[in-house]
Amino acid sequence: MNDRRRVNGPPGGTRPPVYASLLQSGTGADTRAQRQRQPTDLRKIFLKTGLIPSASGSSYLEFEPSASLAAARSNPKSLIPPSSALKLACTVHGPKPLPRSAPFSPNLVLTTHVKYAPFAARKRKGHVRDSSERDLGVHLETALRGAIIAERWPKSGLDITVTILEAEDDRWWGDVPDSHDASWGMMNVLAGCISAASAAIADAHIDCLDLVSGGVAALVSDDSTDSPSALPKLMLDTDPAEHRSIVSACVVAYMPARDEITELWLKGDSSKVSTADGDQRSGHEALIDGAVDAARGAHTVLAEAVRESLQKTLGQS
Amino acid sequence: MSNQRQASSASQTPHLSPAELSYLYTSLSLPKSPIRPDGRSPTQFRPLTAESNILPGTNGSARIGFADGTQAIVGVKAEVEKTVLSTDTLASSEGGEGEDSTSTSNSAAASGHGSWVQMSIEIPGFRDDDALPVFLSEMMRESLVGSVADGGSDGGGDGGGDGDVTMAGGLKGRLVINKRWHWRLYIDVLLLSQPLSYPLPLLSLTTHLALLSTKLPKLKSQGEEDPFFDDDWEVAEYLYPRSSNLKAAGNASQYVRPPVTLLVVSVGENIIFDPSREEIAVADAVLAISVTRDTEAGNLKLLSIRTVDPPSRLTQPAVPNSENVNMLGATAPTEDIAVLNPATGEEEVPGVWRPRRGGVKRSVIANMVKTVLKKGGVGEEVLEGLEGVEVE
Repeated sequence: MNDRRRVNGPPGGTRPPVYASLLQSGTGADTRAQRQRQPTDLRKIFLKTGLIPSASGSSYLEFEPSASLAAARSNPKSLIPPSSALKLACTVHGPKPLPRSAPFSPNLVLTTHVKYAPFAARKRKGHVRDSSERDLGVHLETALRGAIIAERWPKSGLDITVTILEAEDDRWWGDVPDSHDASWGMMNVLAGCISAASAAIADAHIDCLDLVSGGVAALVSDDSTDSPSALPKLMLDTDPAEHRSIVSACVVAYMPARDEITELWLKGDSSKVSTADGDQRSGHEALIDGAVDAARGAHTVLAEAVRESLQKTLGQS
Repeated sequence: MSNQRQASSASQTPHLSPAELSYLYTSLSLPKSPIRPDGRSPTQFRPLTAESNILPGTNGSARIGFADGTQAIVGVKAEVEKTVLSTDTLASSEGGEGEDSTSTSNSAAASGHGSWVQMSIEIPGFRDDDALPVFLSEMMRESLVGSVADGGSDGGGDGGGDGDVTMAGGLKGRLVINKRWHWRLYIDVLLLSQPLSYPLPLLSLTTHLALLSTKLPKLKSQGEEDPFFDDDWEVAEYLYPRSSNLKAAGNASQYVRPPVTLLVVSVGENIIFDPSREEIAVADAVLAISVTRDTEAGNLKLLSIRTVDPPSRLTQPAVPNSENVNMLGATAPTEDIAVLNPATGEEEVPGVWRPRRGGVKRSVIANMVKTVLKKGGVGEEVLEGLEGVEVE
């Protein structure tokens, strides 16, 4: 369904001119962002709650930009930033009474909206939510509904809106869309959405079983030059711009207190993986365990942010 | 309206009373031997009728009807489209190098692009931008375009040419005609009846069958010429190469096959396939697992897993007698003692329905995936069954 009320800009957007000579000298290891972290190292997360006073709960989340971005800023070789880092804001409105026209519901009715800002990605997004944004909304809803104790608010609704201000790249910008063109950045965005929404729900004082946090792990085959048969390696919290090819990735929403997964989204071929000796896990199990480890890491940040917000409210009253 | 929106991610919650839900849950969670309402075994599918090539105006089509009256039709149409050249491909072609081993083997022109496959799902009662159709089409498309046989490293420029191509780059590689042209595939799924149960298994099986029967016209031009096709439909080639004799099951495993997405639910400790509407209403966890045949090893491989929001979270809770004002003094206090449900880790009074809370344990997920993937398991059974459907 197209938006017919506004005069919209071109759907495709424009690309900055890139000279072929620049590209040929520039493609290679020196311009592509390289992962500086260990495979199990996570990016730092900035998470703050209660920034939007009109909402009953809100949070703002930011991932640490990759080291290559700072290097490119100080020593610019190109107009195009080498990588992007996730920034998103989440608001929670409710619990509020359902409209009169709505049918009776014995549980809290959860609605989730995930929207990219038009400027969030390298390619402009329209004002109407597209299918990937709706898909993210369904994933987020599944993740949160398992954590919220919904029967304590009969006949009420809860609206969760996530605005993505800066999205993760699906690949390095210089790479042509290729066989590994799946939207890997979306999985990082979902993990961020889950953690931020969880903090915002806690900020709105809505009862949950546990703080649910999101984590991403991926199987990455980076060194295609050495030997094509090299098995992909497991990495936690991958930035897709830093890797040549991501074979498969997995995002989970995880509740550490119960050791339960409320949302699992795994895609790609996880049949081959190089694991440590004696590790009997198959590829997908290693991937899920890795994502759970990443979620545990995000949970520590989440718990700290919620504690901070609680201390703030206690100090005010 | 909002209730429908809310339930649309899982499926409509059937209007079952808490007592009915509790009865279903108890019989489905019996250790080792669940009793399903229709008497099936945990891994048994509902009987279905299938036929393919029913729409003469399409490249491939199929219809599947379940015994409960739900039917789906899938039509696959293919169009030739010009490939948008990227700077990378331009640079290598200007260099005049014929070999495309390293520089362009990963580019879209050689190994295809996921956006060349378009999928739309039409479900009665839902707008096409509602959550359910969007979620379903993304789920099926992502496993379809993700099923690359190997990294596309040898998906050279020959794609679409000879008849016994082994489909190096999976479906995406097969859509490449040459560097400048490719096929665009439109997969249109039409659910003819109301979605009585969660329609994913039906739609996925029908799409699989339609893709198996899809034929593309034979290419007459060679190399980098503008594509020119044989107008004899008799010599058209299958999109997914078929084995010459269908009965040789060992032979069939060498061919790339479209993925199938199976709906698996867990109730208590039991794992149940192809749940009906009532069974999915009491499920602890619902997983959609996409598998296809691994061309190298011959067994099944996993393509994607997604959790589906179980509708049991939206159900109405029951009130135990001890908390019911109307039953005050009528029951002995020993009657409802809350016991720990080992599957959910929560205190529950037996026979009193509580909406499910929380998620699913990792061991349960691993168990579900293992049941799908294991040799001679449900996944192989389904793929073999679909292979047996007569295409012609």
